[in-house]
Amino acid sequence: MRAPRPVALAGLAVGLAALAAYPLVGTGYGVRAMLQLFMWVALAGSWNLISGLTGYVSFGHVAFFGIGAYATAILITRAAWPWLAAALAGGGVAMLLAVVIGYPCLRLKGPYFAIAMLGLNEVLRVLVSYFEGLTGGGLGLSLPTLHATLPIYYVMGATAAAVTLLTYLVITSRFGLRLMTIREDEVAAEAMGIDTFRHKLYALLLSAVGPGVVGGLAARDQGYIEPISVFPLATTITMIVMVLFGGKGTVWGPVLGAAVLFVFQEAVWARFIYLHQLLFGGIIVAVVLLMPRGVLGLLQVKYRLPRTI
Amino acid sequence: MNAVVLTPAMVGQVIISGILAGALYAMVALGLALIFGVMRVINVAHGPLLMLGAYGTYFLWQATGVNPYYTLPVTMAALFLVGVLLQRTLVFRVVDAPELSSLLLTFGISIALVNLAQLAFTSDLRAVEFLTASFRVGPFALSKSRLVAFLVAAVITAGAFLFLQRSRLGKAIRATSQSREVALVCGIDVPRIHLLTFGLASALAAAGGTLIAVIVAIQPDMGQVWTFKSFLVIVLGGAGNYPGALVGGLLLGLVEQLASLFLTTQLSEAVAYVLLVLVLLVRPTGLLGGRQT
Repeated sequence: MRAPRPVALAGLAVGLAALAAYPLVGTGYGVRAMLQLFMWVALAGSWNLISGLTGYVSFGHVAFFGIGAYATAILITRAAWPWLAAALAGGGVAMLLAVVIGYPCLRLKGPYFAIAMLGLNEVLRVLVSYFEGLTGGGLGLSLPTLHATLPIYYVMGATAAAVTLLTYLVITSRFGLRLMTIREDEVAAEAMGIDTFRHKLYALLLSAVGPGVVGGLAARDQGYIEPISVFPLATTITMIVMVLFGGKGTVWGPVLGAAVLFVFQEAVWARFIYLHQLLFGGIIVAVVLLMPRGVLGLLQVKYRLPRTI
Repeated sequence: MNAVVLTPAMVGQVIISGILAGALYAMVALGLALIFGVMRVINVAHGPLLMLGAYGTYFLWQATGVNPYYTLPVTMAALFLVGVLLQRTLVFRVVDAPELSSLLLTFGISIALVNLAQLAFTSDLRAVEFLTASFRVGPFALSKSRLVAFLVAAVITAGAFLFLQRSRLGKAIRATSQSREVALVCGIDVPRIHLLTFGLASALAAAGGTLIAVIVAIQPDMGQVWTFKSFLVIVLGGAGNYPGALVGGLLLGLVEQLASLFLTTQLSEAVAYVLLVLVLLVRPTGLLGGRQT
C-alpha cells in the first residue's frame, strides 16, 4: 500500500476547511443544499460499503435511514435525549437491524439478500404505522422546535467525511481485500479460508451505521417524520444511481456521483419528478451495460490511477 | 390483537381463501422461477411487468366495455412481446455477467417501467368494476372475481407445466436450465430458449395482472410487492424447483389468510416477510429442497 501523497492530503485539507468555513459566507439556501449533499455522500458511501465491495446488492438501504430517523425521533420526544446522542443511537439501532436481516440472508449466496432488502422497508413502514403508541402511526412524530441548522451542518459533514474515511480504510485493508475477493468469486474466497458470512455481515454492519446516523440527523433537521417520508424507495434508488455513476467499489466514486447527480437533481430534474425517476432507471441500465465501473473506474483504467482512489 | 375464537367455518374459509390466492401466487411465481432457473437471473422487473398487464386489462375494458377476462390473451401476448424485446435488447447482455449486474439491470428496468406508468397513467387508483359480488356456499363466502382468478390461474399453470413436461420446446427449456453447456452441445439454440423463457415469464406475469385488476384497484407501484412475493414463493418451494412454485404459492396463500384472522390487514402484509426470514434461517434450500444457488 502506497501512502497518500502530501499534495493530495493538502488538497483534501483545503477542501475540508473550505466546507467548514462555507456557512460563514454561504446563503441560507446554500447551507441547506450542502447539508443535503453531505447526507447523500454519507448514504451513497454506505451503500458502496456493502454493495460496491462485496457485490451483494441492497435494494432497501433506506430502511437503515428510516429506522435511524425513528429511533432518534422517539429518543428525543419520549426520553428527551439530546439530538446528537439520539442520532448516534439511531446508528446503533440501524446496526441492530442489520444483524437481524443479515444473519439469515447473508448465509446464502445469490439474490436472497437483495430481495429480502427489497421487502424490508415495506415491512418497516407497516410496523411503524402499526405501533402507534411509540411512533405516532400514520400521523407521524413532531419533534420540538430547535434551530440547529449550523450544528447539524457540521455533524452531517463529519458523518459524510467519516463514511468516506471508513471506505478508504476498508479498501486499503486486508479486510477490504477479502470483501472484494468475495465479490469476484465467493467460492474461491471460501476455498482460501475466508469466513465469507462473517465478512459480509461486518460489511453490512458498517454500511448500516452511516444511514442510521444520517436518518437521525435528517429527522432532527426536518422536525417532523412520518412513515412515507423516511422509507421511500426513491432514496435507495438515488443512492444506487450515485454510486454506480461515480464508480462502485472506489473511495471517491460515491462522493463524485453524489455531487454530480445532486447538482443536476437540484438544478433541473426536481421539476419533473417522474421523469427524473425514469431517468434514474435509465442511468442504472446504461451504467450497468456501458460503463460498469462508473466514471471513476473509467478514469482509473485510462490514467492508471491507484486502486485506492 | 384480540383473542379470536376459531370456529370450523372460519378455518374452512381461511383454507378456501388461501387456496384461491395460492394458485395466483403460484402462476406469477412460476414466471420468476423460469427466468431464474434458465438464466440464473432474478428479474426484479417481474412485478412491474404484471402491473403493465393489469393496466392493459383496465384500458381495454374501459375502451371497449368487453368482459375483462377476454383481455387475457391480449395482455399475455402483448407482454410476451415486451418480455422478448427486453431480453433481446437488454437482459441477454447480463446473463453471463455477475449477479450484481443482472440484479441492478432489472432493477433499473423496473424503476423505468413504474415511472413510465406514472407518467402515462398517473398514480390514481383505478378499478375494473366487474364481478364484484360473491357466492355464498353454506357458511362460506366466495368472492366471484377471486374464484375466477383461481380457475384461470390453475388452468394456465397446469398448461405451463404440461408445456414444460411434454413439448419439445418445454423440454429444451428444462434442459437449458439443468445445464446450459450440455443443452448447447445437444443442439439447442440457447439464446432462443432464453428469449422464449423471458417471453413466457412475462406472459405469466401479465395473466396475473389481468386477474388482479378485476380483484383490487391498481396503481403503478403495485408491482414491487409481487416481485417480492413471487421470490418468496420460489424460496419456499426451493429455487430452481418448478413444482416447488406450486407448493410455495399455496403455502403463502394459506399463511397470509391465516394471519389475517389474528392480525390487522395491514400487519398481515408483514407476515410474508417474516416467513421469508424464517425459511431462510431454518431451511435455506426451500421446503421441497432445490438446487443450491
